[in-house]
Amino acid sequence: MNFKNRFVVKVVGESGQGVNSIGEVLAKALKDNGLFIFGYREYPSLIKGGDASYQIDIANKEIKSSSAQCDVLMCLVRSSFKKYLKSVRENGSIIHSVVKLTPTPEEELFIKENKINVEFIPAKDIAVELGGKRIMSNTIMLGAIWQIFGLEITGLEDNIRQIFSRKPEVIEINLKCLNTGHDYDLSKLQKPKLGLRETKNFKDDLLMSGNHAIGLGAIAAGVRVYYSYPMTPSSSILSYLSSVYHETGMIVKQIEDEISVANMAIGSMHMGARTMIATSGGGFDLMTETVSLSGITETPFVCVIAQRPGPGTGLPTWTSASDLNLAIYSGHGEYTKCVVAAHDIASCYTVTQQAFNIAEKYQIPVIILTEKQIAESIFQVDKMPQDIPIERHIVEGQELEKVISQDRYKNTETGVSLRWLPGSCDATFDANGDEHLSDGSLTEDAVMVKEIYEKRIRKEEYLLKDLPEPEVFGSKNPDLSFVGWGSVKNSMLDVIDILNERGKKKIAYLHYEYVYPLKTEVFQKFAKNAKKLVLIENNATGQLGNLITSKTGVLLKNRLLKFDGRPFFLEDIIEYIEKIDHTESEE
Amino acid sequence: MSCITCNSTTTPTMKDFQSKNIFTWCTNCGNYGIHTALRRALVSKKIPACRTLTCFDIGCNGNGSDKIGGYNFHGLHGRSIPLAVGAEMANRKVTVIAFGGDGGTLGEGIGHLVHAVRGNYNITFVLHNNLNYGLTKGQASPTSKKNMKMNSSPDGATSELLHPAKFVLSLESTFVARSFSGDVKHMTKVFEQALDHKGFSFVEIMQSCPTYNKETPHEWYMDRVYDVESIKGYDSSNREQALKIAQDQEDKVNGEAREGDLGQKIAIGVLYQDKKSVPQIDRQPNRNGSVGTKIKTDAYEETKQYNISKLLEKFR
Repeated sequence: MNFKNRFVVKVVGESGQGVNSIGEVLAKALKDNGLFIFGYREYPSLIKGGDASYQIDIANKEIKSSSAQCDVLMCLVRSSFKKYLKSVRENGSIIHSVVKLTPTPEEELFIKENKINVEFIPAKDIAVELGGKRIMSNTIMLGAIWQIFGLEITGLEDNIRQIFSRKPEVIEINLKCLNTGHDYDLSKLQKPKLGLRETKNFKDDLLMSGNHAIGLGAIAAGVRVYYSYPMTPSSSILSYLSSVYHETGMIVKQIEDEISVANMAIGSMHMGARTMIATSGGGFDLMTETVSLSGITETPFVCVIAQRPGPGTGLPTWTSASDLNLAIYSGHGEYTKCVVAAHDIASCYTVTQQAFNIAEKYQIPVIILTEKQIAESIFQVDKMPQDIPIERHIVEGQELEKVISQDRYKNTETGVSLRWLPGSCDATFDANGDEHLSDGSLTEDAVMVKEIYEKRIRKEEYLLKDLPEPEVFGSKNPDLSFVGWGSVKNSMLDVIDILNERGKKKIAYLHYEYVYPLKTEVFQKFAKNAKKLVLIENNATGQLGNLITSKTGVLLKNRLLKFDGRPFFLEDIIEYIEKIDHTESEE
Repeated sequence: MSCITCNSTTTPTMKDFQSKNIFTWCTNCGNYGIHTALRRALVSKKIPACRTLTCFDIGCNGNGSDKIGGYNFHGLHGRSIPLAVGAEMANRKVTVIAFGGDGGTLGEGIGHLVHAVRGNYNITFVLHNNLNYGLTKGQASPTSKKNMKMNSSPDGATSELLHPAKFVLSLESTFVARSFSGDVKHMTKVFEQALDHKGFSFVEIMQSCPTYNKETPHEWYMDRVYDVESIKGYDSSNREQALKIAQDQEDKVNGEAREGDLGQKIAIGVLYQDKKSVPQIDRQPNRNGSVGTKIKTDAYEETKQYNISKLLEKFR
């Protein structure tokens, strides 16, 4: 499948060979020179060896998703050539530095049938000839790929100088390698016809991952404590917040296990410090008892689950959206909780801030779902969205003189009682994990127990009113109406854009960002207006769809589900739409 | 009383730490003495109830969460340590005390104990060691004697027992003390020292359980305990010596010691203390002034809108 306004470069090699570095430098240079990128990484769960890739989708306007196929495959090792050859589009190109690469007859056939141009650059030999080290072959390959874009080499030179600013002695030789690569004859290869962006200040654009945006959102929200046990794909939140902790003064601590992480978070939140924690599904499994403790003690709690495929260890470095049920149904007993699902930079940034406001307003656990595809992919944005004002709902100052211990868990209309911080007031209370009275004193009295149980559940009604409805994108009179959550939105909106340009099928997409408790009004209208309703989710069982059905009675029979560890590529969705066309005409 | 916000100061009294709730422990339960001693220690250290947070485990000790004044948190089984540690990291002005039983602390949550010792978080931790699971009606715990016939092990427990003080001393602990629940005066003295200590204060209370542990009632301990302070020239900064002393409990409880041996006796008091101890919260290089400016506030008072614009430069 070809996309008119998109050009895709995929750098592949062994994990640890510098695939990421090439990808990152290229992505930044393209951004600095007036293009728009989306960076997608695939890598195995090991440190050295195994195939890794850094794919950059390039356009002259905003994009947030990946194609399944690439226009140029830059290949650094034989095994990657074999693994990724079939990801090259018809008429695409391969630039490689693999000495004595002889394609197998089957590979030869694929190359021929798809009219793929294969170019070899003896990059390691050139690097050594120029007086450099073999690793500088990466700079040669970078220079070579730059040539395809027909952009000034000076643009890339600046980036090289910046990268090696701490090692000035290697700048000269790297620039030499860059220029030699750039001058290599690759005239046979197909070149992108994208045109540059019209805006002038593209150098100010930001390149960051979803995890960066969550970290920044936490900082903006006044999070002062971050505890974590490393788990892919959440770990880069920990490393990012550590890398800036001198600037922020935040307490950033790696803790011995997820159970401690969750309990320490409850402890810190109880005292009034905004505390964030993050993990992936397996780590969250360990935390769920504590989520329940947050429920009964009405202690605000915010946890990010960066999803990857399970069960068990599953696919640690791949993507998935299969932990919605885990989040919604986590923790024993019944109580109010809130589940939000981020999808891009703006969403990660704002949802993180909102999560703390919701957690503190309703004194409940809030779970933020992301996916590896969001957490670790590189997004380009021109600016960060507006900050969300902090709302804490903590009794302070003079008001403290009025509170009595029994106010802490007092039965109120909304189910939300006053909250004040230990140390701030004489009206002490017991945050009791056992069932309790309004001051936290233990009770097993049937009447009292029922009353406080209802109080905690009642919060959901008011929370639901507070939450935004799902948003609808695309056609107002659609042929096909998709419903989804998470990273699916990024792919759907790019698909809608592409199909609009092609003037084909009219598509609408309804997106749930605030997933639980579930808002249904906008969905009901959307479903009523739909000629054909399609559920799209990055899991095998249609978890959001099942939730929607249970709350609305609307069946979502058409399901586009993907659960192979990969995100939805543009082709996946477009092919599905085309196939539906086909089956409809048969009907 | 005094609070962070109201600032009116009067000396705390025993009454401030009392609760309107009726105790639900067995007659002669060691918990009564432990609570009394702790209340006395808090009063003598002039720590107001509104600046106290007690964190409870699940178990008989946990049923005391609403039976003592001040702020309380009744958390999960085996997790009172990370809960307390989290609270302490956020607010240094509130004194944080955690309790745990021998089951919760050395069974369910032993990892937390190890890492809290490593981290030297500034809390006082009280181990209620009654050698069994009381609230679930008398199963063997990690401190139950091997071969002891318990609810879950009718022919006797088959695992070796774990000696709390010896175990904690073997880690790089900064404060290890022992007392027993029949001596309120002694416990008070030990708690006072534990509250004064800057770092993780581990206090093991050898506790009677009149219902499920008939072997070691208060009288049994009474006959055997002696304060380390009675040893001439005892140096509590000597870990080796403390380890040797802590061995006595093992000898005694295993019943292997001969009459007249030192093993007849069980030492109580502060076995070990590192007076140069620096608590975890003061070890944060980005906050304690070792790199950059010192942050004088605590995390709980720092939440405000932060401007991220400077941080964005790295992403351009």
